[in-house]
Amino acid sequence: MKSVSRIAVVFCMMLFSTGLLARQLPEDPLDSVMWEAMAERFMPEGDIVFDERVRVMAPLSAENQFHVPITVDATALDDVVEIVAMADLNPIPLVMSLRPSEALAFVGFRLKLQQTSPIHVGVRTRDGVWHVGGAIVDAAGGGCTAPAAAHGNSNWMKTLGETRAFAGRDTDHSARMTLRMRHPMDTGLAAGIPAFYLNELAVRDDEGNILAEIDLYEPVSENPTLTLKPRVGPEATVLTVSSRDTEGNIFNFPLDVPAATGL
Amino acid sequence: MQWFAAGCGCAICGSASARLLDFDLRAVEMASRTWAVLGRTEYFNMDNGGNIVNVAFVEVPDGVVVIDTGPSRRYGDALRRLIEKTVPGKPILRVYNTHHHPDHFLGNQAFDASMIAAPQKVIDNIALEGSGFADNMYRLLGDWMRGTNAVAPTVALQADREEVGGRHFSLFYLSGHTSSDFVIRDDETGVLFAGDLAFLYRAPTTPHADIVSWRESLTVLAGIDKSLLIPGHGPSDDKDESLVQTGDYIDWLHGSLSDAVQRGLTMNEAMALPIPVRFEGLGVVRTEYERSVVHLYPALEDALFPVIELDQ
Repeated sequence: MKSVSRIAVVFCMMLFSTGLLARQLPEDPLDSVMWEAMAERFMPEGDIVFDERVRVMAPLSAENQFHVPITVDATALDDVVEIVAMADLNPIPLVMSLRPSEALAFVGFRLKLQQTSPIHVGVRTRDGVWHVGGAIVDAAGGGCTAPAAAHGNSNWMKTLGETRAFAGRDTDHSARMTLRMRHPMDTGLAAGIPAFYLNELAVRDDEGNILAEIDLYEPVSENPTLTLKPRVGPEATVLTVSSRDTEGNIFNFPLDVPAATGL
Repeated sequence: MQWFAAGCGCAICGSASARLLDFDLRAVEMASRTWAVLGRTEYFNMDNGGNIVNVAFVEVPDGVVVIDTGPSRRYGDALRRLIEKTVPGKPILRVYNTHHHPDHFLGNQAFDASMIAAPQKVIDNIALEGSGFADNMYRLLGDWMRGTNAVAPTVALQADREEVGGRHFSLFYLSGHTSSDFVIRDDETGVLFAGDLAFLYRAPTTPHADIVSWRESLTVLAGIDKSLLIPGHGPSDDKDESLVQTGDYIDWLHGSLSDAVQRGLTMNEAMALPIPVRFEGLGVVRTEYERSVVHLYPALEDALFPVIELDQ
């Protein structure tokens, strides 16, 4: 009887461990208490490896918890399909997800932090593997639950979607485009202010082919400021940026890319 | 017995940490009966307890005038004791706050509020942001900040001159480091208390900076007749070196960040740019530079990014 139960225990343990083997979560170098939850929710399938080729640039300390700059450079990886950023300890952790189908695996954005938090960035390659990098950012509290600065101004609706943008050359075969759009990016967590944020943005070439698509979520900072590197030919061209917010407001605009120098 | 041993252990801890949280402030006589208490040229940390700022006091015929009160109640108390020891038996007649940054006024609690004076705009800024600063300072400095609350000055100044206890002071209402930077000159000794418009061998800070008006204020300060300048951070200065150095740094900062914005660099990329070797001697320059990127970038982006017409 005793040996039977021992066998049963061993069998159970084997089952349990094969369950884990199907997807073994590596230990988190950032030691986040939310690591397993982040992996399960936002990187649900595929192997996960921490990879130094996912370069996450972030300040050690958030000088302003409403605008914490993050730059992700995963250009050292080939065949990147998706880049997902999450702030583990935010009440809403998912920040943004980029599909750089015809763009370099590079993105700059800013996020709101509710408290000191690990930031994880998962980069999925075509083989289904998530390559993960990250950083811990120290922060004073409250970035997600305070009203946007826009609400200090009674006519903020008038400037909604006001856009500043330009594109330059990254290389002969890629542009570097930066845009800044006026939007409160309300998280829904400030008293009396429902969630209202820019949630989709796509960049197309002059034939309408999608170069990059990005989903934005509540933690993206007010007046989203994004940097992307779409692939373009060496000649001058015009990109089209289209975006919309959670109320269905649509903001579209063209963006000139100069010719590569020497052309 | 065990309880007794634990009690002993705590008592030892207690005295050790009490010694640890002592600022050990020293008054250095800079000019006749004029003392400065010079802070370290660092950023706030648990080791310095927030003692990174210069404050000063002057013995006038009938009492003492104090310029800035330090980062906490603990510092303010230590400063008051230092003043009593250095100038025994004389009352404190006036306390000036040069601007609303936490290291300059959070020691106000240690002084009689009816003596504390500043321009109205400094008072407004303290009322608006003071308690938020105190919260964040507590986060950075822990027990060093115990019991500290923001106390706003009660006397709003607007005159160009004030007589305190038999001594005349010239008062200058400037801006640029913050929206209101108050500068005081002792007309008897010619010592100029420049607050944080002037830094020396310590990187200038920019959380509320307007570089253009800061530049103008430096020009005004250079034109003021003085024997010695006490900067907000760094050693005393008798040849306007702090004004030249601060101007050089903020000009470089403005130019370099404008260029980075126009190249479309992200804030993180801008933070990684090299800092010219001539600024290497400025305390905590890399940290302050990275902070300045966050402070100054958004306004530069609004000013320098081209506005795009949306498709209808």
